[in-house]
Amino acid sequence: MSAQPPVIPDYGEPSACVARDATFCTDWFGDHWWNLFWPALVQHLELTLIAVVLGFVLAVGAAVLCHFKSWLAAPVSGVTSFLYTVPPLALFQLLVPVTGFSVLTVEIALVLYSLYLLFTTILTGLREVPEDAVRAARGMGLTRRQILFKVELRLAVPSLISGLRVTTVMTIGIVAIAAYVVDQGLGSLILKALQSPFNTQFIGAGALAVALALAADGALVLAGRLLTPWARTRRAA
Amino acid sequence: MRAGARQRAWAGLLALVCLAALTGCGGAASATGVRPTVVIGAKQFTEQWIIGEMYKQALTKAGYDVELKNNIGSTEIIDGALTSGQIDLYPEYTGVILQVLARDESIPHSARDTFVKAKAFQEKRGLTMLEPTPFQNKNAVAVKPAFAKKYGLRTIGDLEKAGHVRFAEYPDNISGALGYTELVKKYGLTDTKVRSLNIGLQYKALDHGDVEAADVFTTDPQLARGNYTLLEDDKGFYGFQNVAPVVHKDVLEEQGPKFAETLDKVDALLTEKAVQQLNRAVDTVRLTPAEVAGKFLVANGLL
Repeated sequence: MSAQPPVIPDYGEPSACVARDATFCTDWFGDHWWNLFWPALVQHLELTLIAVVLGFVLAVGAAVLCHFKSWLAAPVSGVTSFLYTVPPLALFQLLVPVTGFSVLTVEIALVLYSLYLLFTTILTGLREVPEDAVRAARGMGLTRRQILFKVELRLAVPSLISGLRVTTVMTIGIVAIAAYVVDQGLGSLILKALQSPFNTQFIGAGALAVALALAADGALVLAGRLLTPWARTRRAA
Repeated sequence: MRAGARQRAWAGLLALVCLAALTGCGGAASATGVRPTVVIGAKQFTEQWIIGEMYKQALTKAGYDVELKNNIGSTEIIDGALTSGQIDLYPEYTGVILQVLARDESIPHSARDTFVKAKAFQEKRGLTMLEPTPFQNKNAVAVKPAFAKKYGLRTIGDLEKAGHVRFAEYPDNISGALGYTELVKKYGLTDTKVRSLNIGLQYKALDHGDVEAADVFTTDPQLARGNYTLLEDDKGFYGFQNVAPVVHKDVLEEQGPKFAETLDKVDALLTEKAVQQLNRAVDTVRLTPAEVAGKFLVANGLL
């Protein structure tokens, strides 16, 4: 079997741009959009969305709890801020022996990171709801639960959105490091372009991560405007 | 009382039938060939990405369920992933197994001896190894030809004659058994300084004069053009380094004999010439590892 030499296919030559590893080769980027960059972009978005949505749900729950039982705020804030200070790369490596080289590892780390900013901004938003509004609602006979859902959480939407904006942009950045754990997302292309140096792949993937962060931020600003029509009326007046 | 006993008997019978059905079903499933997905691991450099892709594509074609996890490094980490069952197999270099994992100080005198010893080591751990590739990818010390000429360098030990030498080493190979620290000790080099650089950056560092010597791999496509001189490893520090899949014994049993045959066929094709061209297709022509592996397997009738 090994006596016969293998057929080595002709792999051709790189384009002139690729051959000198120019800063950015548009031809190569275009050729590899569908089999390299697009799938990585989608994976990057998926990893980010799962983490931010889970983190948001947990953080809203924790913030509401701390809003009602204010003695809880200090310990919860302490724990989340401690988690926030652990370097992402270290946290990934700490989790690998437990949950393996898996998406689960990545998401656990990302959710833990998202908690601090989300929790802090949401709790601040709830606390800054004008006392008058709450008193008026109570006067109208709303229950504590109704006040939370119909008054406080709605008036806190701007804070919720600003928390989501910072967290989403940060998570998109950390997902790029997650390539050390799972071979997914734009970080995987960046990591491979460092291990086998190639500018176009490195810069292309990096630029896409920036574009993704800007687009996500823009989408959240838009969502915030749609959810707070009263703010617009006030601005218009 | 009698009625209660009868009820209990019926319940017991029912439970037995259920149990029989369950185990029967399990047995039938494994007999009809519903096999678990095999997870292949690969380390964090070009050659491993290509070999990983080849294993994946050839096995998929042969009807196996396969998943590939790239970029698991270094050697200790991917070995941990294998022994803990996170991955089922990965391609490893025979000498690396002895030097890094078995911590075997003696260097065998042939490639075959290295493979046999490495396999014996893995078998003690519930693992085994399939047939090795014809090619080897050894570490080697590269310098610029002008530098070698200036100081008359032929072997790694000759670096001592070149004064202060800055040495490029990839980050996870500074302290290991094949790493910079051990190399310097083995060759008695006294005036060197290590610079930690990712794999692939060593050549740029040599070209720019940031370092004088660098740890490289013999299958690097950059070596094909004669722009670098490899210093002879006359003390056999780097040993023999053929590639063979390291795999869990029970996975091999579970998947049947055709599984190993498929991997053996792929590995038999990997000669030094082929691997240099494959690495070049990824590192220089800039095709993806999946494209390069696929084209090679098609050309050799495996896909």
